[in-house]
Amino acid sequence: MFSAGDIMHKNPVTIDPFESVGRAAALMNQFKIGGLPVVEGGRLVGIITSRDVRYSHPNRLVADAMSRNVVTVSPECSFWEAKETMESHGIERLVVVRDGRTVGIITKSRLYAEIGKHVDALTGLNRAEFLQHKAAELLQSGQEVTVIFLDLDNFGAIDKEFGHVIGDEILQQVGKILKSVIAEGLDYLCRYAGDEFAVVTVRPLEEAKQLTWRMIKALADASWPQGIKVTASAGVAGGRRSRVRGEPNGTHNVRDLINLASLASTKAKREKRPVVVAGWVELEEAG
Amino acid sequence: MSSRAPFTSHSSEPVRRAEVTIRLSEFEIPPMQDVLLVGKRAPIGPEAVRRMVDALTPEQYDIIYLDHEIFEAAVLKRSLLKFLPQEKFLPVILEEGMRVATENTVVKAQVNIVVQVNRAVDL
Repeated sequence: MFSAGDIMHKNPVTIDPFESVGRAAALMNQFKIGGLPVVEGGRLVGIITSRDVRYSHPNRLVADAMSRNVVTVSPECSFWEAKETMESHGIERLVVVRDGRTVGIITKSRLYAEIGKHVDALTGLNRAEFLQHKAAELLQSGQEVTVIFLDLDNFGAIDKEFGHVIGDEILQQVGKILKSVIAEGLDYLCRYAGDEFAVVTVRPLEEAKQLTWRMIKALADASWPQGIKVTASAGVAGGRRSRVRGEPNGTHNVRDLINLASLASTKAKREKRPVVVAGWVELEEAG
Repeated sequence: MSSRAPFTSHSSEPVRRAEVTIRLSEFEIPPMQDVLLVGKRAPIGPEAVRRMVDALTPEQYDIIYLDHEIFEAAVLKRSLLKFLPQEKFLPVILEEGMRVATENTVVKAQVNIVVQVNRAVDL
């Protein structure tokens, strides 16, 4: 449901490398599209975009105007992975390939619109699905991950006493503070639900615990609207892949890991301790 | 009284003729000569040139893909390269080509190479 195959334009219009640039332009115009995969004998050999068409003489062969280095993804690639690929290459479309054959194309606008559905409008942070997919992706790439689950203390009471507008302001500020504490490329933050935030990180458990303390402290030290005191309780759980084969995409086990961190945060709240570490859990190997 | 307009007084209609001029000459095979320099935005690109060369004169030309400000590729007659190695010849032809070409053009060049040799032998 969150992979390239779900949102790609299936059976895209393609062109042969030995057709003319003029023909490519006509096809793009006819189908109102900005790029055509170039396919020879069923194999993807290049891509020609409206920019290439503008730059090249219409008599030219497509083979003489196309880009030969096509950035491709598999249908199983997640939205976020596709976004990273698109951004790192500075391109606006990705060709979706299975076994060397073109099966679809993803445009930047379609991808971003889809990702937008998984971004929390209030805080601008990704939603829970992102966390699950990021954790699964990191595990699949062989990395150990740690999940930090943060739950704001008595947020319901704050909402009731000061109103939802102030409550929303606080949630926005929490998002900003947590974002300022985490490190891009190491830690991935999301608003999990309501007053719950979560981070998946590739830091080892001990380091992740220190990060959790920094987040808790940053929230406690911040100044909040109307002098409200905002604190949070956190649970930390680490996961590593075992050699036992299990679920095909590992997502189920990632959910277990998130749940473990969530339960640890509940325990922290109950025992009035800022941070509870649930420890390590062995996850079944993906795929 | 006549109602005819005065300008219709000429009785003869204008004669329409077509003149056909034909120039016949032999089609050069291959149509390029010794060198072809393909501009980056020329109406044909290196792949089209390669197909043309392969079809008309197989194994007689080399196509060199270039990283150059004006030209995308150079097509060189192999026999020339027996006289002068590519690394010596290419910079010269590109330098001269740049003086007359733009990236929109394909330039053909006729090249004569005369090798002068002076040798002394013992009598």
